[in-house]
Amino acid sequence: MIELKHITKWVNSGGNRVFLLRDINLTVNEGEFISIMGPSGSGKSTLLNVIGMLDEFSEGEYNFLGQPVHELKEKHRSQLYKSHIGFVFQAYHLIDELTVYENIETPLLYQNIKSSERQAIVADILDRFNIVGKKDLFPTQLSGGQQQLVGVARAIVAKPKLILADEPTGNLNSKQGEEIMELFRKLNAEDGVIIIQATHSERNAAYGSKIINLLDGRVEK
Amino acid sequence: MIRNYFKIAWRSLWKNKTASIVNIIGLSVGLACCLIMVLYMQHELSYDKFQQNGDRLVRVIMEYSFNGSPVTKGNFTSSKVAPSFKRNFPEVEDGVRMSADGDRLVKYGKKLFTEKKFLYADPAFFRIFSFRLVKGNPAEVLKSPNTVVLTRSTAKKYFGNDDPIGKILVVSSNKTNFTVTGIAEDCPSNSQIKFDFLASFSSFGPAQEETYFNANYTTYLLLKDKNSITSLQAKIGPFMKKEMVSSEGTYVNYELEPYTRIHLYSPYDAFEPNSNITYIYIIAGIALLVLIIACFTYINLSVARSIDRAKEVGIRKVSGAFRLQIFTQFIIESFIITTASLLLSFTLVAAFLPAFNQLSGKSLQPSDLTQPGVVGVALLIDLFIAFVAGSYPAVILSKFQPVKVLKGGFRNTSSGLWLRQSLIIFQFVISIFLVIATIIISAQMHYIQNKKLGYEREHLILMNLDFSIIDKADVFKAELRNNREILSVSSANSSPVDIVGSYVMKRADMKSGQEINTWGNFIDEEYVKTNGLQLIAGSDFTKQDVLDASHDDYTRNVFHFVINESAAKALGWTPEQAIGKQMFLGDRRPGEVKAVVKDFHFASLHTPIEPLVLFPGSWGSTLIVKVSGNNLAQTIRFLQNKSKQFAPGIPFEYRFMDEDFNKLYDTETRTTRVFTIFSSIAIFLACLGLFGLSAYSARQRIKEIGIRKTLGASVSNITFLLSDSFLKLVLIAFILAAPVSWFVMNKWIQDFAYRIHISWWMFALAGLSALLIALITVSFQSVKAATANPVKSLRTE
Repeated sequence: MIELKHITKWVNSGGNRVFLLRDINLTVNEGEFISIMGPSGSGKSTLLNVIGMLDEFSEGEYNFLGQPVHELKEKHRSQLYKSHIGFVFQAYHLIDELTVYENIETPLLYQNIKSSERQAIVADILDRFNIVGKKDLFPTQLSGGQQQLVGVARAIVAKPKLILADEPTGNLNSKQGEEIMELFRKLNAEDGVIIIQATHSERNAAYGSKIINLLDGRVEK
Repeated sequence: MIRNYFKIAWRSLWKNKTASIVNIIGLSVGLACCLIMVLYMQHELSYDKFQQNGDRLVRVIMEYSFNGSPVTKGNFTSSKVAPSFKRNFPEVEDGVRMSADGDRLVKYGKKLFTEKKFLYADPAFFRIFSFRLVKGNPAEVLKSPNTVVLTRSTAKKYFGNDDPIGKILVVSSNKTNFTVTGIAEDCPSNSQIKFDFLASFSSFGPAQEETYFNANYTTYLLLKDKNSITSLQAKIGPFMKKEMVSSEGTYVNYELEPYTRIHLYSPYDAFEPNSNITYIYIIAGIALLVLIIACFTYINLSVARSIDRAKEVGIRKVSGAFRLQIFTQFIIESFIITTASLLLSFTLVAAFLPAFNQLSGKSLQPSDLTQPGVVGVALLIDLFIAFVAGSYPAVILSKFQPVKVLKGGFRNTSSGLWLRQSLIIFQFVISIFLVIATIIISAQMHYIQNKKLGYEREHLILMNLDFSIIDKADVFKAELRNNREILSVSSANSSPVDIVGSYVMKRADMKSGQEINTWGNFIDEEYVKTNGLQLIAGSDFTKQDVLDASHDDYTRNVFHFVINESAAKALGWTPEQAIGKQMFLGDRRPGEVKAVVKDFHFASLHTPIEPLVLFPGSWGSTLIVKVSGNNLAQTIRFLQNKSKQFAPGIPFEYRFMDEDFNKLYDTETRTTRVFTIFSSIAIFLACLGLFGLSAYSARQRIKEIGIRKTLGASVSNITFLLSDSFLKLVLIAFILAAPVSWFVMNKWIQDFAYRIHISWWMFALAGLSALLIALITVSFQSVKAATANPVKSLRTE
């Protein structure tokens, strides 16, 4: 489903080539839940951004659902991630001007889904996440855990095949963090969504079916 | 989707109320300026468009010369042109002769008014022009002599709700009775012909004789075909040559001028002063400039706000938005802002229109805003700003890359910075230019107001004397002098403020043909004293001098002259030599120089002092009264009673000499006001833009500021750091603006023969005030940034 072959990424800084990722090989199959671990600066976020097609890579091959991403044009690539990938961020990144309901609805807007259908989908998600009562609140009126809940809800509303979560519990206390991880596990087990998370925490990493350790842009064996 | 765009736009505008309000105010001020000018131009361009026969109407311009003298050309024609052209040229369908003959006193019962819009016209008037009659038969109303058509509001003024038809009005001091035969709609304000009274042309006794001479009237022709102007024009020359065969040495010809082009293109005035198409272009240019400044402000403010939106853009992109969708969203936001500004600007226009009318002499109405044309232009401007000014910020915003803006906050990018800086520089160049211009114009006006002119103009009251008083002028003046508060009284042709009588003079020993041009004014024996003129040689006129020059049989007249220094010099004398010398004023006034008066400014300071001859005359119609200034109201009441007593039935009108003086500089006074207003607006808008740019920069450098503060920088260090770069922009703007303003204002001031010296402090003052205003604007942001807690700004990562 996802296949990274010899992915390498570097940037030029003051005449030197600084490697962010070196020769990453990774295959992710349906139904997997992968945790990427590593110290700060080891390349976790870069790897997630590359997989999420938000960032370019310098060398290597990347196949997503059989499509060669490295050969696709920008427009095709956004089309691809738009319909198949959901993102969850450490800082939640909800739009402050929008209500919970509207935040969750946003990805659907960009997929040209009809209004009535959108209502049904969002209502369903609100119900599943038990936040129906909060749908008209603005993000600033919610606790961190609730905001991240909305963040996850927004990530899966368009029914992606893959969720990329970059330190999803980094700003939460342990109890809230646990709830989010439980939610990921449930999504992975019941809906078959692939989850790739980057994390510092051994405990959270343990939720994954597979753990990849990164150090200085390399996969540690 | 669209609904969603509007919702988001509305919410984010609402959330950033201050920024939105600043933006809306900036834009609406610019738009209001623009709209007022659009209204002005619309009014000017719509002149006479309501005439249904407009494209077939022409005005006849006369040119003539006698015995090879230079050709004189003007908007006057004689009584024969209309009837003769109608008879002789098949192209001419009809013709109308018109005349405006100055102010008229009109009386009905106890009501008495001086009427300024009293015109005369042939019966064809209502056939040719599209002025509508409310009452009366268009073909009949102006047929008989001494009949008159009133406009609706004039009729109301005299007759209230009574039916005016058949009523008799008494007109002028010669007490002619005019019968009201019709009521017309009030003349549109965009008509070159505006009348309150339209009397029959046949009321003019002498005009009934058809002659090509005595060109005192205006002739309009209605052509059968609008394309026949050229062919008709070609026939007129040969035709007039034939008509003039019997008058040897006389050249008379006529030129046809399309009626609808008169107001904006003709050098010859209509019944009111013309405008000029050049003004329209200048005003359009100013409107465009204001619009551009407003757009620049808008761009800078919007870009400043883009940082706040960066995260949102990132999230939207990650959620699957294409660049175009983000772009559309921001354009719609821009559209909401501009539309709100447009609505606000309509209110502003309505509020400031009266002030503008006073400035421009127009009578524009707020309701003019609702004309489809104006609304259309306003919407076009609105869309234009929304799109042009909105697209730059929208492009910037939609370019944000999610990876960058979502991780690690907003990074300092200098891309596009030079563009935003150039916009600010451009705005300040214009502002500084306007400020310099304002300073120089005001300084010149101050100079004019305070210049010693060689005559006094304080405590002087002017009155126009009616003919019935002039006959008894001596008695009248003597009675006035009895009042303790009246220091002296003089009558003359004109006051020293503006002497316009043009004459020629020569020494007794000069041959004819050697005459020198001079200005002349006839005065009485108290003129020199009343006006505070200074004699530098010889002695003042006496009563006898006036009598000597006032014989009924002019061949017996003997003249004494008071000439000014310039005249003495032109005639080749020193002031002392001049006394007692023989000279002529024109052919008919031989005499000798009695005194030389120190040069005084008897015209506007635009012109240098030219030769002037004052000569005695008792029939002056301008009364000059010097008062002590005590009990002024009482003194004026005294004047009123006396003039009522001497000239019953004539309304009493007076003015102060200062008013006449200020009228000489009407244009300059208006220019000063216009420049003051525009420089304020330009500075205001430029500062709004600067405010935006400095806010943006403070936000961009927030991390740098935090680091500097933790390393020990003081608030003033930081404030200076942030203000520094903006002050540089103002400085650059000043360097660009100063030479341009010097060049332009130097040109302007050359128009005055007496003028101030343009000096460095005027530029320094403008530069410093711009700098100061800019500093205050920028320091709002920089102080805020400098006093912020660095812990907050550094915590983001």
